[in-house]
Amino acid sequence: MGALAQLGAATLRVCEPTSLFLMIAGVAIGIIFGSIPGLSASMAVALMLPLTFSMGSSLGMNVLVAVYIGGISGGLISAILLNMPGTASSIATTFDGYPMAQKGEAMKALGVGIVFSFLGSIFSFIILTFFAPMLADIALQFAAPDNFGICFFALTMVAVLSSGNMVKGLLAGMLGLLFALVGLAPIDGTARFTFGIPEMRGGFNTLTTLIGIFAVADILVSAETIGQGIKAVPVKKVWGFGFSLAEFFKWIPGAIRAALIGTGIGILPGIGGSTSGMLSYVTAKNMSKHPETFGQGEPEGIVATECANNATIGGALIPLLVLGIPGDGVTAMMLGGFLIHGLSAGPLLFVKNADVVYGIFAACMVCALIMLIVEWTCIKAFVQVLKVPKHVLLPLILVLCAVGAYATNNRIFDVQSIVVFGVIGYLYHKFKLPTTPFVLCFLIGRMTEEYLRRGLMRFKTFGAFFSRPIFTGFFAIAVCVILWAMYKEFKAARAEKKAAA
Amino acid sequence: MFFRKYGDIVTGIFYAALGAVTIYLAQQLPKSRVMKIGPDFMPMVIGILILFLAVMLLISALKNFKANAAKAEAMPADTSDYKRVLASLVLVVIYVNILAPVGFILSTLGYLFLQIVVLAPNDRRSAKNILIYALIDIIFVFVVFFLFRYGFKIVLPAGIFSL
Repeated sequence: MGALAQLGAATLRVCEPTSLFLMIAGVAIGIIFGSIPGLSASMAVALMLPLTFSMGSSLGMNVLVAVYIGGISGGLISAILLNMPGTASSIATTFDGYPMAQKGEAMKALGVGIVFSFLGSIFSFIILTFFAPMLADIALQFAAPDNFGICFFALTMVAVLSSGNMVKGLLAGMLGLLFALVGLAPIDGTARFTFGIPEMRGGFNTLTTLIGIFAVADILVSAETIGQGIKAVPVKKVWGFGFSLAEFFKWIPGAIRAALIGTGIGILPGIGGSTSGMLSYVTAKNMSKHPETFGQGEPEGIVATECANNATIGGALIPLLVLGIPGDGVTAMMLGGFLIHGLSAGPLLFVKNADVVYGIFAACMVCALIMLIVEWTCIKAFVQVLKVPKHVLLPLILVLCAVGAYATNNRIFDVQSIVVFGVIGYLYHKFKLPTTPFVLCFLIGRMTEEYLRRGLMRFKTFGAFFSRPIFTGFFAIAVCVILWAMYKEFKAARAEKKAAA
Repeated sequence: MFFRKYGDIVTGIFYAALGAVTIYLAQQLPKSRVMKIGPDFMPMVIGILILFLAVMLLISALKNFKANAAKAEAMPADTSDYKRVLASLVLVVIYVNILAPVGFILSTLGYLFLQIVVLAPNDRRSAKNILIYALIDIIFVFVVFFLFRYGFKIVLPAGIFSL
């Protein structure tokens, strides 16, 4: 039976009333978890896992997929409205989404984010359905040195992101790298920078770092000016999704590029959605004819990020289904779901349980559509958040964040560390250091070191890395990016001097 | 004013010190006996990079100090309300530290109410406003508690009082 016929049959099964109802509920729960800073997509999947015990294997997996998709896409709501990414994947959505919301274009920003989330997901699911086994072979080609190359390449994006004041941007990032070092070192487990505090051995959690930098720092920053009165954010009413057909077609090339980046990063185990969104954003900014509009409320920035981070879902499912390798926290949870339902992810899954596999493919597509409809109908409800005065809203969010930080690992240390990162975020604001490099470096720092040392374990010397074409390619691009960024920085500094003279 | 005028210099000095400390601490870390690159490698690289970049920042800040200082003087005065910032910070620090011993319900009831009042602009602190804040506080805390405890099955710190 051809792939299309199997997919068609599976779609019919997925659309049965019970399954459809449970999937709508799953997507809604995912959106709630994704949109509240402090609650994450992986937490939502973990909570839903036990609920799927009593369901059949197909139905159970469909619900988990629904929660996953809702969770990743829900992050854009709080990113746009509150300037706080609901999940790590939507960090770059805040760059342009929040300025748009402040200009009164919250509904348009949400519309753009939702539509391109949907398109990104669908693109990656089509790739997943028809090319999964083939692409899994490519993923197997990637060894530790190659992953190190990608991480290194992603780190150089800090230089690009902080153009205009590169030294400060790099310094801002370095502190993030330093915080990523805290805890047990990869490979040998040496305790580093723990200062004898047992809790520090576990290192700082990604979620708590994000909460601190965005939510806690936001309270402190807002406290500076909140006494001077409350500014109401205007909300322009829009029709449909808020953008015209002409705009839509203008964004399509960027969206395709973003979807390719997202799916590509997703396929590689261990890199994840937060990196893909950021990489795609920086690429879009650099390829754009008007890079200066990025960060000021440019819809193309939202297109790039949201398309990429949702395309990562389909990408991440490829190694999960075909090889049984989870790419990130959420897919690791999904792997647990497979085991519970007596399925073993891996090459045999396609032979033994083809119905389940195509069921998942169909569920992915249907869930993406549900996500589009649910979020679109709720846009008006979402923007009501902007009407809540800030002095009430921010403390409420902080409490949710503290609860989320606690719930991740049941460690009170995680809750306490959000204050540390909050103070860092506030000081960064005062000293005009950008926070994005800090977050990016923190996210990628640990991975970079781990892949470097794993690679060295196998290949002995760093020079031997260059025998691998994939690593060499990424390394060369990274070096070019650094040189190019330095050249631009130098040119801008000279132009400024000339203008002053 | 202070941040605009001396911001970069303070940043530079802080990072230079941080780089030096990192290098020192990295030297204390054990070297790997099997591989050339051990657990001390990355901290060392980062330390050196920080020190190098910090010195670069300091040099450029000192070189442009006069021009930047003049620019800072010309800008309108800093009207930031540091009382509210400090009060919020103190509240958050207390909150995260009493969350476990006192428990979610009581500590959050106290924190949330005080934080809203601290952040509220002066013209929003009438008796009626305060009553509304207290109501929001109580409703929110119990909704979150029951949602997490019985909806998501996440046990929040119980402390001395729980349901």
